[in-house]
Amino acid sequence: MEISSLFKKEVVSESGKLTAKQRRFAYTSLAPILLYMGLFTLFPILWAVVMSFFSYTPIRQGSWFLGLGGQNPFVGIDNYIELFTGTGKPAEVFRLAVKNTFLFTALVLPLNLVITLPLAVLLESIGERFKTLFRAIYFLPTISSSVALVIIWSYMYAPGWGLLSMMFKAIGLVPPKSWLQDPNTVYFGVPLAMLCVVVAHVWQDFGYNLVIFVAALQSIPKTLREAARVDGASIWQEFWLIVVPLLRRTVLLTSVLTVISSLQVFVIFQLLTRGGPKNQTQTMLLSIYENAFKFANNLGLSAAMSMILFIIILILTVTQFRILRTEWEY
Amino acid sequence: MAASLRKKNSIGFVLGKSGAYAVLILGLVATLLPFFYIMVSSLKTTAELRKTPPDFFPEKPTLEHYTTILTDEDIPIVQNLGNSIFVSLMRVIITLFTSSFAGYIFAKYHFKGKNLAFGVILIQIMIPFQVVMIPNYLLVVKLGLIDSLWALIIPAFVDAYGIFMMKQFIEAMPGELMDAARMDGASEFGIYSKIILPQMGPPLASLGIFTFMATWNDYLWPLIVLTSPEKRTIPLLVVWFQTQHVSNQGLVLAASILTLLPIFFVYIFLQRWIVDQATSSAFK
Repeated sequence: MEISSLFKKEVVSESGKLTAKQRRFAYTSLAPILLYMGLFTLFPILWAVVMSFFSYTPIRQGSWFLGLGGQNPFVGIDNYIELFTGTGKPAEVFRLAVKNTFLFTALVLPLNLVITLPLAVLLESIGERFKTLFRAIYFLPTISSSVALVIIWSYMYAPGWGLLSMMFKAIGLVPPKSWLQDPNTVYFGVPLAMLCVVVAHVWQDFGYNLVIFVAALQSIPKTLREAARVDGASIWQEFWLIVVPLLRRTVLLTSVLTVISSLQVFVIFQLLTRGGPKNQTQTMLLSIYENAFKFANNLGLSAAMSMILFIIILILTVTQFRILRTEWEY
Repeated sequence: MAASLRKKNSIGFVLGKSGAYAVLILGLVATLLPFFYIMVSSLKTTAELRKTPPDFFPEKPTLEHYTTILTDEDIPIVQNLGNSIFVSLMRVIITLFTSSFAGYIFAKYHFKGKNLAFGVILIQIMIPFQVVMIPNYLLVVKLGLIDSLWALIIPAFVDAYGIFMMKQFIEAMPGELMDAARMDGASEFGIYSKIILPQMGPPLASLGIFTFMATWNDYLWPLIVLTSPEKRTIPLLVVWFQTQHVSNQGLVLAASILTLLPIFFVYIFLQRWIVDQATSSAFK
């Protein structure tokens, strides 16, 4: 067994016609690229991990080793303990941010699916020409600058005279006095400002899932749906009994991707609501950013925050790969 | 066949079809209305912008805000546009080269440690930006790149996703041409530049468009590493406008539209490609 596998290996490299020259070329070409990955990806990851166990502020004198040690002492898992149970302001805001980030994600995912799935089915049912046009327009917000979209939504949500307020008035509803700044308007435990951010984000983002679902629908064999129609199934039955089960894997996968990206939304929180009112839209990424770059606090604490977010995302990424690996056939 | 014919003539089918269009058009309006409102608002005079309640359409459309931001010497918008274009193009060129070249090596060479090396590169895809954000900032400070446009370019030389995509594509290319070229005495790099690269138009274009759009719209990293007004990229300018020019909303609107336009322009011509690419990239 051992010998035969060794022998096999030899044969492969023979048939690969690998001369020493070619091997040398491969190594020398890849070396700079790998060094680069080492410097700008691997090294920063390790640095972040190590930093999360120190109390670190760049202006303080540290040791030769990345400025850690010295006046930037090793604190073990104190940063993590502080984040989970501490009473410092950053830790308290961060715990709120964790809650808000999950709330945001929990609202974005169902809203996104409720819009994109039916829309994809409708889109798939119309003629090719219109389908392309509609799809292109629905996708427009996803390719647009988030910053410009925030400006757009600040006009939509402008108090009193914003487009949304005017639309509310036009259909006889009373718009809220302030869409983004009133901490006391809460629906079913969800602050109004958070709802507004969810709507704006889903508007910006739904195009991705939509085009993915349309593509997945197109790959469902036509015969299956035609057979259902011939058997007298209604459009509703066709949707629930044919389309939904066959799209299950796609929906699952897109859901994981949507969750991963929702956990990392930044621009809209930083610019539209600035985490407010009263930290009601403070998120994890915003906390990490503000703690590190706005308040220039203990960067070790920021690093610990990013590790917590990273671990959550890593678990989701592993889930995503597991779903990807499952065999699938119609 | 008969069943589907019957279906086509039934009232229910016609209602279903028009219902489908009604919902789709509603979605269309919801998608386009915010863009449209901002676009027409940017053509209003300052006085009209202050009017409450505002009119939807401008009474006398004017381009004054556009001419102001493009010509006012206190607003470095031309420079900021130049920065965005420079950084985006540099990143496109460099990413296309490193991705196709590394993709070629991974696809067509067999050597010890290849899987390990590829695994190392894939780590970049798995790592969310915020994990490396703080160390990378400190690194950029150490390298003396703070407040330099190179801080946006140098850390982005290697794009793991690009390498992955190019590897997939090159793997599917037949090896005979390469062998033939080798017989004719072509160097290994010559095979890459003369045989592989010319066949890679479509994937390079896709990757290029995506890199361009991502760089053009990038906000968080430039926000962290750029500080002086003349170094800003366009999204930073818009944000700065929004905080400084509250009194003149027209300028903020015009700047936002100018941020959106280049991408829309690219999109009009390449939308089918961009949407297809976005669709397939989700599942690789």
